[in-house]
Amino acid sequence: MKLKVLFSFFLFIVAALIITGAEKAMYNPTPVLFKIPYGFPKPATNIFANNSLTEEGFQLGKKLFYDGKLSKDGEVSCGSCHQPFAAFSTYDHDLSHGINNNFSTRNAQALINLAWMKEWHWDGGINNIEMQPLAPLTAANEMGETLDNVMLKIKADSVYRRMFRNAFGNANITSSQMLKALAQFTGSLVSANSKYDKVKRGEASFILPEQKGYEIFKALCNSCHAEPLFTDNSYRNNGITLNRFDDIGRQKITGNKSDSLKFKVPTLRNISLTLPYMHDGRFAYLDKVIDHYTNIDTTIKNLDTQLRKKIILSNIERQQLLLFLRTLTDTAFTKNKRFLP
Amino acid sequence: MIKIALSFFCLLSFSLAYPQKTKKENRIIIHFENRANGKKIVLNDSIYSTIFDEKYAVHKLKYYVSDIHFITQKKEKVIKEVFLIDAAKDNTINLLMPEENIAGIQFLLGVDSLLNCSGAQEGALDPLNDMYWTWNSGYVMFKMEGTSNSSPADKQRIEQHIGGYKGAFKTMRMVKLFCIKNKEITIVMNLDKYWDGINKIKIAEMPVIAAIGEEAKKIADNFAGMFCVAD
Ligand code: HEC
Ligand code: HEC
Repeated sequence: MKLKVLFSFFLFIVAALIITGAEKAMYNPTPVLFKIPYGFPKPATNIFANNSLTEEGFQLGKKLFYDGKLSKDGEVSCGSCHQPFAAFSTYDHDLSHGINNNFSTRNAQALINLAWMKEWHWDGGINNIEMQPLAPLTAANEMGETLDNVMLKIKADSVYRRMFRNAFGNANITSSQMLKALAQFTGSLVSANSKYDKVKRGEASFILPEQKGYEIFKALCNSCHAEPLFTDNSYRNNGITLNRFDDIGRQKITGNKSDSLKFKVPTLRNISLTLPYMHDGRFAYLDKVIDHYTNIDTTIKNLDTQLRKKIILSNIERQQLLLFLRTLTDTAFTKNKRFLP
Repeated sequence: MIKIALSFFCLLSFSLAYPQKTKKENRIIIHFENRANGKKIVLNDSIYSTIFDEKYAVHKLKYYVSDIHFITQKKEKVIKEVFLIDAAKDNTINLLMPEENIAGIQFLLGVDSLLNCSGAQEGALDPLNDMYWTWNSGYVMFKMEGTSNSSPADKQRIEQHIGGYKGAFKTMRMVKLFCIKNKEITIVMNLDKYWDGINKIKIAEMPVIAAIGEEAKKIADNFAGMFCVAD
C-alpha cells in the first residue's frame, strides 16, 4: 500500500512537470523594461506593477489603439483623436470628432509621460490608467460603443485571438486584458528627448533668448508646470472662465465647491504641437495663452494664489518665453516608429 | 491530445495516492432575497409603494456584497471575494465557515476603496457588469432602476446609481447581522427601508441619482437598515 502511494505520487510529480513545461513553451512573452529618463523622478505609483509590461502586450495595445473597429461605426479609433504627429492630441481642433459627427466636449489631451500621473483626464476623474479607455469607448459622442460589443468584435477576430494569447497566455479574452494592453501602450508614451532635455544632459545648449525665456519660465510658470515633467499634476484654477458646456472641472469629480474651475495642470512638453490650448481648446495659439496669463482678472474667486499677482511681460520677454517653450518639442517622440501604427 | 492524456494520467495517479480522504467541510449557504412590501421582488412586474405612497416598479436591481466576516468567539474569518447580487439571477453563495459556531455575519455593502482604485479586474468587478462609472472612476455600489408615476424625470424613470468611495461622499456601508442559527440562511434586502430608513426618501424629490454627493450619501446611510436574516 505504502509503495503504491509513493509510486503514484512520483508519477504525479513527473506528469505535472511535463505539463507545466509544455505550457511555458507556448506562453513566453518578452518582458520590456520601462526606463526612467535621465533627470526624471521615479513615478509615484508604478502603473505596471499589476500589469507586467511585455512586448506582446505593448503591440496588442498599439493595435487596439489604432483600430477603428473599437467604435460603433468602425471609423473612430483612439488614434484618430490622439494623433502621433500632434504628440497624441487632436491637431488644430478645439474639440475632436467622435462617431456620427458628434464632438467631444473637451480638448483631446496630448498623451505624454502618463506613467508619472496618478489621475487622468482634465478633471482627474480617472483613478487608474487601465480604466481610462472605458470613458471614450462608451461615451455616446466619442466611440459610442458598449463594452459587450467591443469584446464580441475582438473575440471574433482571429488576429486578436492570437495576439491576446501571446500577450496573456490563455484563450479566454477578457475586458481586463484589453484594458491592460491599452495601458501598456499609452503608459509607454514617454517624451524626454527635446532640446530642453539635451541641454539638461549637457548635449546641447540654449541660445541666449532661450536661456532668458527659461529664467522667465522658472520665475512665473514652474510652480505649476514643474520641471522636468512640466506639470505638478495638481488641480488649479488658472483664471479660465466657465465655458458654454458649464464645465466646472474638478468640482464635478469631488463635489467640492472649492474645486470649481480647477483643471489638472497640463504638461507643457511638446506644447507647440498640441494646439489649440486649455481644456476646451479656447486659445488657438501659444501667443493667446500668454495674453491670457498677462490679462487674468485677479478678482476671480477660486483663482490660484500664485496667479493673483499680475504678470507683466515686455514684448521681448514674451518672445523669449515662447522661444523657451519651443525647446520642449520632441520630434524623436512624435516620429518614434515604435509608437506609430 | 497528449496534454489530455497527461492530465488524465495525472488525475489518476492523484486519486490513487489519496483514496477517499475527502474531509467533510463546514460550509454555509447564504441566499440573498430582495423584497419590497413583504413580497419577493419580481423585475418588470409588480408595483410597490413607498411609505409616502409613491408607486414604483423595479427593472434592475444589483448591488455588491464584499468583505464577508464571520463573527465568532475567537477570531474572525474573512472572505476576500466580491459578490454581485443581481435580482435577475439566483443569488446563492456557498462559503467555507470557521470551525466553531458563528455569532453573526458582517459584510460591506459595496466594495472598499482599494478595490475601487485597482484598475481592470475580472469576475464580479468586471466593468462588463455595468457597475462602473467611466467618467469618475469607481464602482456603483448599489443600482436600482425602474419607473414611477411620482418621478418628474424623463419617461418617469427612477435611476438610483449609488456610488462614491472617497471621504465624506463614500457610500459603502458595513452591515452586521446576528442570530445565525442554521447552516443555510436567507439574508433579506428590504427595499422598503431604502425609502424609509434613517433618511426618508421621496421619489418625487430624487428620482435620479447618478453621481457622488449628498444625495447618494443620504441613501447610503439607509443601507445598513435594509438587511436582516429571515427566520
Ligand atoms: C473623440 C475623441 C477621442 C477618442 C476617440 C479617444 N479620446 Fe482619449 N481623450 C479625448 C479627450 C477629449 C480627452 C480629455 C477627456 C476629459 O478630460 O474628460 C482624452 C483624454 C485621454 C487620456 C488622459 C490623458 C491625461 O493626460 O490625463 C488618455 C490616457 C486617453 N485619452 C486615451 C485614449 C484611449 C486609450 C482611447 C481609445 C480607447 C481614446 N483616448 C479615445 C478624446 C478622445
Ligand atoms: C497656478 C498654476 C499655474 C501657473 C502658475 C501657470 N499655469 Fe499654465 N496652466 C495651468 C492650468 C491649471 C492649466 C489648464 C487650464 C485649463 O485647461 O482650463 C494651464 C494651461 C496652460 C497651457 C495650455 C496647455 C494645453 O495643453 O492646453 C499653457 C500653454 C500654459 N498653461 C502655459 C503657462 C505659462 C507659459 C505659464 C507662466 C507664464 C503658466 N502656464 C503658469 C496652471 C498654471
